[in-house]
Amino acid sequence: MKHKPFIQTRRWNHPIVAAAACTLALVGCGPKEAAPSGGTPSAANPADAVIATPPGTPTFSLAWSEYPSWSVFGVAHAFKLVDGAKGKMGPVEQKWSVDIELKEAEYDPCLQMYGAGNCDAVCITTMDALNPALSRPSVVILPTSTSFGADALLVTDAIKSVQDLKGRKVYGLGKSVSEYCFVRNLEAMGEREKDYNFSNMDPGAAAVALQQKQPGIDAILVWNPFVLETLNKRKDVRVLFDSTKIPGEIVDTVTMAQASLEKSGGANFACAIADTFYIVNKRMEDPATRNDTLIALGEKFSHLDVESMKKVVDQTRFYSTPKSGLEVLNAAGTKETMKKVVEFCVAKEITSKAPTIGYGNSSSAPGALRFDPSFIQRLINDTK
Amino acid sequence: MIRRPISGQYATVLSLIAIALLIAGYTWLSHRQHQRNPDDTTIPSWKQLAGGVRQAVEVNKRSGERWLVEDLKASGFRLACGLFSGIAAAVALGMFMGCYTPAEAFFHPPLALLAQSPPTAALAVFFVLAGTGDPMFVSMIGFGILPALAMSVFLAVKEFPEELQFKAYTLGASHLEVIWSVLFQHVLPKLLDAIRLCIGPAMVYLIAAEMVVGDVGFGYRIRLQSKLLNMSVVYPYLALLAGFGFFADWGLRWLRRTWCPWFEGHRG
Repeated sequence: MKHKPFIQTRRWNHPIVAAAACTLALVGCGPKEAAPSGGTPSAANPADAVIATPPGTPTFSLAWSEYPSWSVFGVAHAFKLVDGAKGKMGPVEQKWSVDIELKEAEYDPCLQMYGAGNCDAVCITTMDALNPALSRPSVVILPTSTSFGADALLVTDAIKSVQDLKGRKVYGLGKSVSEYCFVRNLEAMGEREKDYNFSNMDPGAAAVALQQKQPGIDAILVWNPFVLETLNKRKDVRVLFDSTKIPGEIVDTVTMAQASLEKSGGANFACAIADTFYIVNKRMEDPATRNDTLIALGEKFSHLDVESMKKVVDQTRFYSTPKSGLEVLNAAGTKETMKKVVEFCVAKEITSKAPTIGYGNSSSAPGALRFDPSFIQRLINDTK
Repeated sequence: MIRRPISGQYATVLSLIAIALLIAGYTWLSHRQHQRNPDDTTIPSWKQLAGGVRQAVEVNKRSGERWLVEDLKASGFRLACGLFSGIAAAVALGMFMGCYTPAEAFFHPPLALLAQSPPTAALAVFFVLAGTGDPMFVSMIGFGILPALAMSVFLAVKEFPEELQFKAYTLGASHLEVIWSVLFQHVLPKLLDAIRLCIGPAMVYLIAAEMVVGDVGFGYRIRLQSKLLNMSVVYPYLALLAGFGFFADWGLRWLRRTWCPWFEGHRG
């Protein structure tokens, strides 16, 4: 599970940035279904880029929490690519004829909001998506990033090897990607999980405890920004192992309810979300706008500087292009990974039973949780 | 006419109606949610709730423990230690301040300030100062309730009629006898009332801390099961907390009646 500090929606009114954002919004083509608004407006003034939602336009909501690849949506709102308020539409929303409502909250409330049916889509890891999918059939519409070093086991000098962890507590958030990362790394090293003791603690509190050298706290498994912050503040702490050993297993996604997808405009919303994500990613790859976008991305994520933020996005590898997103949704490796994830979740009682997992569109691959590449594919086809 | 007394029977009927409305309201909410989504677990049906209760009290296959028993032991111990230390310190400090003016001048300003500072906002400070083990939970509850409770005791001492104090001295009582046999007896019912008001905040502090650093306890279980959308376990836990608060309040009122019958008469 990811856990991010609370932030409020940001607004960025700088005209040059907004103009650049609007230009970027024009990259790509229109959807198959013609937009009632007649296409994307070109506006140099940010105020012109956002319009009031025309009557009859469907509204869909996305619950998101502060995390590098999910803050992209907050940045998109700040750059006026989309307007997260209900009743207002940015250029991308106009292009796809849907009103996107962004609901920002902590990670746990986002999950609860989604489970209770109070939002149409949610930013969630594949592992955490299993449980709500049991009661609300869900579709992974967009993989956003994967942890590649962003989850790490930090140890003090007292721990020379993984065997030294026996008889000690390893602190981290229980029943989350942290515990998954710990168990999978032990497996990879040929160790038995039952010889080790993973104890629940909030990652922020665990990081503070290690930074303070509190007695008994010698090993914590946390994620960024806590990893980088702790390494920066305590030089005798090092990474014993991290999520680079299990690439592609901890995947952050945007997942949408099947019932919402079936509503009028549901597919357009899925495409609009993917479109928004890739436009911001382009900004991040362009040397001219990279630092600017990174600063916006990390504004409330932590007080890390631009250089550290570069490291953060390196350790949280974005699926920054439609091609890389499609590869995840279509890869045979994803099926293997999901089998392991489901087994882990059932064994740890994170889910009461294993949900069926489908790969493909709703007719060819029904499942409680379905990985559907058709929305990214449609985006690619429309862009050609 | 306002404030007109009603019969006990009438009051009981009204109470029962209120509870029945609460149950009916919940049943309706749950029914509506299940009509929207038959597999919903966020507003569980009564049957789902029964399943949640079973899950909480049965031996867990993986851990071999009963969740509720483990959580009751952990949270109960932390709450009891925290309340005991907080009350003991508050009584000592409040009496000391009330009896000795230099102590009042010394302790009053910091206590008045601390009484306004919510411990949940200072959660991170407690982690830093008291670590993340049981001492942290205990100190958070203890220090959380201490300022308000100590001020209550202090004010109760201050309002004690001076003529009664002189009367006790005239009858030959020593300083300690006046403090224990006269002043403390006067303070006791007010202390019990103040403790009643502290039970709720004490639970808030404990649950908040357990949600962040606990690996067992009510806060830990509620946070974890909420995240897993297993609300059929969360609601019974909440009901237990409410039940505990209710009975603790009732118990303290009973103690006040038993220990300080004169106070009941005084209240009319």
